Amino acid sequence: MESTTLLEMGSADLVEELSLRFDDEIVAVQRYCDGIPVLWLSRSGLRQVLSYLRTDASLCFEMLFDLTAIDERVRTNRQGQPPSDFTVTYHLMSFSENCDIRLKVALLQPDLSIPTISDLWPNANWYERECWDMFGIQFTGHPNLTRIMLPPTWKGHPLRKDHPARATEMEPYSLLQEQREVEQEALRFKPEEWGMRRESATSEFMFLNLGPNHPSVHGVFRIALQLDGEILIDAVPDIGYHHRGAEKMGERQSWHTYIPYTDRVDYLGGVMNNLPYVMALEQMAGIVVPERVKVIRVMLCELFRIASHLLFYGTYAQDVGQLSPVFYMFVERERVFNIIESICGARMHPGWFRIGGVAQDLPRGWDKAIRELLDFMPARLKDYDGMVLNNGIVKRRTQGVGVYTTRQALDWGVTGAGLRATGMEWDYRKQRPYSGYENFDFEVPIAVNGDCYDRCAVRVEEIRQSLRIIRQCVDNMPPGPYKSEHPLTTPPLKEKSKLDIETLINHFLSVSWGPVIPPGEVTMCIEATKGLNSYYLVSDGGTGSYRTRIRTPSFAHLQMIPQISRGFMVADLIAIIASIDFVMADVDR
Amino acid sequence: MSWQLERADEAKSPTPGSSAFDDYIRRNVMMTRLEDMVAWGRKNSLWPFNFGLSCCYVEMATALTSRHDLARFGSEVIRGSPRQADMIVIAGTVFRKMAPVVSLLYEQLLEPRWVISMGSCANSGGMYDIYSVVQGVDKFLPVDVYVSGCPPRPEALLQGLILLQESIGRERRPLSWVINDQQIYRKTPDPVQRDLRRADRIAATEIRSPDEL
Repeated sequence: MESTTLLEMGSADLVEELSLRFDDEIVAVQRYCDGIPVLWLSRSGLRQVLSYLRTDASLCFEMLFDLTAIDERVRTNRQGQPPSDFTVTYHLMSFSENCDIRLKVALLQPDLSIPTISDLWPNANWYERECWDMFGIQFTGHPNLTRIMLPPTWKGHPLRKDHPARATEMEPYSLLQEQREVEQEALRFKPEEWGMRRESATSEFMFLNLGPNHPSVHGVFRIALQLDGEILIDAVPDIGYHHRGAEKMGERQSWHTYIPYTDRVDYLGGVMNNLPYVMALEQMAGIVVPERVKVIRVMLCELFRIASHLLFYGTYAQDVGQLSPVFYMFVERERVFNIIESICGARMHPGWFRIGGVAQDLPRGWDKAIRELLDFMPARLKDYDGMVLNNGIVKRRTQGVGVYTTRQALDWGVTGAGLRATGMEWDYRKQRPYSGYENFDFEVPIAVNGDCYDRCAVRVEEIRQSLRIIRQCVDNMPPGPYKSEHPLTTPPLKEKSKLDIETLINHFLSVSWGPVIPPGEVTMCIEATKGLNSYYLVSDGGTGSYRTRIRTPSFAHLQMIPQISRGFMVADLIAIIASIDFVMADVDR
Repeated sequence: MSWQLERADEAKSPTPGSSAFDDYIRRNVMMTRLEDMVAWGRKNSLWPFNFGLSCCYVEMATALTSRHDLARFGSEVIRGSPRQADMIVIAGTVFRKMAPVVSLLYEQLLEPRWVISMGSCANSGGMYDIYSVVQGVDKFLPVDVYVSGCPPRPEALLQGLILLQESIGRERRPLSWVINDQQIYRKTPDPVQRDLRRADRIAATEIRSPDEL
């Protein structure tokens, strides 16, 4: 709790500093329940304030954490906010001072344009393209403002409130031969659009399409390569083949029925995806969860972290040419899944966390299999070190490949193991503990070189630390309820339903409609399997979200690929892609 | 087509006319139609294409690796190129941006080719009734087996594969239906597993409590 007050004090000073300096540019100041100051800026003052925050302010914001927009046209609860049709939102993060700030700019139709900031933070490039694709907001000065999520032939901007959400509201899908030709032609990579030359003074370049279906890209990801022989001159990642409209889905589902969709965002993270979402809602609703709930949640999150890292470990070895490790690691992964299934009832996507608690209490005898796993895993991990990490060929394939520095990582929005491999000891669980992580004893593994090998080594060590956390959960599982007594807990407590007609009505409403969350905005972030995952929820005082923004780590990580792979061979690119540990659902949502 | 194996040295030549002689002939001479023989071969040598779209791909990979080991059913030669494969598992959500690519890959598969639709998204769009998702891969591809689940367990995929193998052994291509100049061929649809098992399932009187392991 102490850290939060310090945090808020720091940001209060900052708001004062900015108000004194940029009095004309700041239109309004707000603060919601997550404590992050929100500054509304004028469009003309945006770049001025942002470049000040980037370099000169007393608190320097190294990372553009998120950039998105809100279609405000049908929002009713906008107390204290300047008039706006579309609001562009910038979320900045300071690592040195450990604080956040959110900046907003109001845009009125028909002039939906705003200056780009891709020269201030390089990772703004993709975020601005996404904003254009989803909302139709023009970023003037952007180097290549094209669609990123949807096919180039798409008409309309899906996250606008007047765009249909359901496929069944639109024309039935058909794929005729001619149409397929048109779509394929639109996907053709044209080097000139990306400012690439087809030849140099000495050689003619080859352009190679890797993906969207290729065994090494872990799903549907395409990357166009500019090659001089086998040397990579440049690369252009092309994403959006896995865009499932998770954010639009949030506006359609009720608060409660959206939980299963979060599981499928980082589909290797399972219930860990539920956590930032339910915690964000709990914060908006003012629900305090019991200790037992916190520990159960931490335990399951760490089990999923192990499952995800094991899959990474196996496929990483496979991608650099070792075929057998994955067969060993999936044995352990199955053990972890057996435990998860015995507790949650499903393997990959249990959707088991609830607003104000979890779905069920732990079954009797839950700890036996976990203790077996805890005793069994360390020896196996040691074997794997010998098989993979100490293997000379793996070392030669991955050491010194795909190197980036801490500074570069922050510029490009890299978080998680990719950031820690550069030597920065920054873990959200330690820096801003949530769900009771402050009570656990664990270390934050780091490495120094920031290459492919180190990214793998950090994750392997994280498996050991997760085992440590799980052991503490098993040994110290607190007794008590698995649900909060708060009236907005969903589903509500059954015992309270039949006291009188009032309680029965309330119970009926919160089961049929789901909870009604008071108007407001909140950001909740966690250290997910792949980096920082945050949910930015806007409630308009209804039974569902007005805007759901999911900031995922993999999106930022993929954008960096060209930076770190230039000058390497194609085979090294495969090692780099493997070491990033992404899943496409986490990129395209 | 039925067949069995016997060690060559064990059988001594019986005299013609006796019942042992008939057995002997049956064990050593196989009578079949060519197309049955080919179907038997196809059934036991499916070469799947290494293809996945989303979450289901991970469960498909789980089915291939240790513990579940798809190799036991003679379908483990995963190919990276569609030109070397004859079976595609549509494992995951079919996106509008991806659909032209999926359809092209299907056409590049060797004929005769088979399609397993794995998971709710590929079956019908599932929980993603959303602008960017095609509501089922059967909107543009013929599907032979639908495996339900979100994602289906590896065991479910194995069962789907066995069902496909059985129907390849029984049926000539096409497995679904075609219209051409000569005929309209329409296969009677295979029964849904849910219907076949319904009687067993509703007969269950005791269901294990989730509170106990």
